[in-house]
Amino acid sequence: MCCNDNFQERNEGEKIQTILDLNDISGMKFFDPHVHMTSRTTDDYQAMADAGIVALIEPAFWLGQPRTGVDSFTDYYSSLIGWERFRSSQFGIKHYCTIGLNSREANNEKLAEQVMEILPQFIFKEGVVGIGEIGFDDQTAAEEKYYRLQLDLALEAGLPVQIHTPHRDKKKGTQRSMDIAIEQGLAPHMVIVDHNNEETVKEVLDRGFWAAFTIYPFTKMGNERMVEVVKQYGSERVMINSAADWGISDPLAVPKTAALMKKSGISLKDIELVTYRNAITAFAQSGQIDEHDFVTVKNIDQSQKFESNSILRGGQQPRINKNSIIIS
Amino acid sequence: MSLTDKQAIRDLDHISLQIISRQLSAESLTWLKAKAEMVKSEGKSFQLNMAFAHLPRFSSKADINIEPEENKAVAQLLHGFKITDWTLDRLCRVWLLMQVPADDQDVYFKKINGLFTASEMNEQVALYSALPLFHYPEIWVSRCEEGIRSNIGTVLEAIMYHNPYPAAFLAEGAWNQLVLKAFFTEKDVNLIVGLYERLNKALANTLEDYVQERLAAHRTILPEIYKLIEQTKEKI
Repeated sequence: MCCNDNFQERNEGEKIQTILDLNDISGMKFFDPHVHMTSRTTDDYQAMADAGIVALIEPAFWLGQPRTGVDSFTDYYSSLIGWERFRSSQFGIKHYCTIGLNSREANNEKLAEQVMEILPQFIFKEGVVGIGEIGFDDQTAAEEKYYRLQLDLALEAGLPVQIHTPHRDKKKGTQRSMDIAIEQGLAPHMVIVDHNNEETVKEVLDRGFWAAFTIYPFTKMGNERMVEVVKQYGSERVMINSAADWGISDPLAVPKTAALMKKSGISLKDIELVTYRNAITAFAQSGQIDEHDFVTVKNIDQSQKFESNSILRGGQQPRINKNSIIIS
Repeated sequence: MSLTDKQAIRDLDHISLQIISRQLSAESLTWLKAKAEMVKSEGKSFQLNMAFAHLPRFSSKADINIEPEENKAVAQLLHGFKITDWTLDRLCRVWLLMQVPADDQDVYFKKINGLFTASEMNEQVALYSALPLFHYPEIWVSRCEEGIRSNIGTVLEAIMYHNPYPAAFLAEGAWNQLVLKAFFTEKDVNLIVGLYERLNKALANTLEDYVQERLAAHRTILPEIYKLIEQTKEKI
């Protein structure tokens, strides 16, 4: 039956109660190089920390609806290096970000001009590991203009670039993104091409770029397909991310995919490269990633001292029992 | 009104630089001093903005090594001020802020305020730590009040702990917010400069309500709250 009016019945039918089993990968560390934490809850942070995610990168992107003034961009960028970074540190996860003008909003040229003026104020901030996510959406002239200008900025600043490749006309859009990056003088090893699929990966790797894959249900890659990609293309310059945002997405995409890879017989070395090491190598070219910070994130970004004061003051967020009906 | 005089500020500048010089590599120290010269001479804020953001890459975030006599000197120069637990990037940033020319109040305000507007967490910590050292102290009151609204623990601590600015310049309402916020965010109120000097009836009343509220919720009450209420009664 296609159109069930009885919601109660339908919902009961859909209710799935299983427990996520990540035992296979317990003890492993993960790095999610693309996740929009601004649109996620503290439950997600907790689950990510529990699953072994020690650090992440939050690329600047659009907010689901267009901004109307430059101050909204200032506040957004500030929140990425301020409040969101703090929120993350409360769960022991080191938070980095990339800063840039996303492709959609590049089409509002009047605003884009103003955003370009404020970008230099943010790209040299601590923990800013690249310019991103930038590139094409509709592949308009305005998108190309601001993509090129931001590539110039990245080159000047010596920062890696995180490229968003378009959903529509993806293969050509990806090729064009790489062509333009080369034209603007960027070395392929400084460019992370994101949202790859089976159709784009070969050329991206052949040309020496980093190939990132977004494990995102329905619209991007599924992780069974990802396992096949790694089997076929190996782990060199390949990385995965969740790109989790406000849509139906999964902030545990990286550890879950690691578990699936392990079940599928992919070597631990390759899993480590794809889910942790390659992303660090690529973005550490910014000079802004220190792995020691993954361990000391609580001490550095939170209260400087734990010893002399209550654990709550400087320590992690208290854990609540989600399975209890008691809320105290 | 000012917390300290120009000579004391110069002395604090000197002590800070002394600590910094001891710990920075020769290369980093040269970089910092060159940037400071540029900050002193530029009309706009370009060098200041860049150097302020770039600084930890040169300074590191190691703890500072401060000598006991330096600690003592700091306390004498600026009552309540204490930098013992600072990191090197924080001290370097605050030292850099002390180099911003203050001849023109509007220009000075614009430069420092611009840093606040685009600041990340650790930059905010340095900026709020520097409140008692800024020129024209009255113009930073609303900024300080804004900082107290922060939810970031380290930022709150930069304002609350060993910082003589709030007690000296905040009006009663804002001061009381600072103290209440300290209790609500479980800060160590004993580190707040001027806590007992600035006791007042309104604060004691609110704290009494707070005690009742905690009792009703079956939550614990910090002994400091009772102490503050008691002391207010004795004082008034």
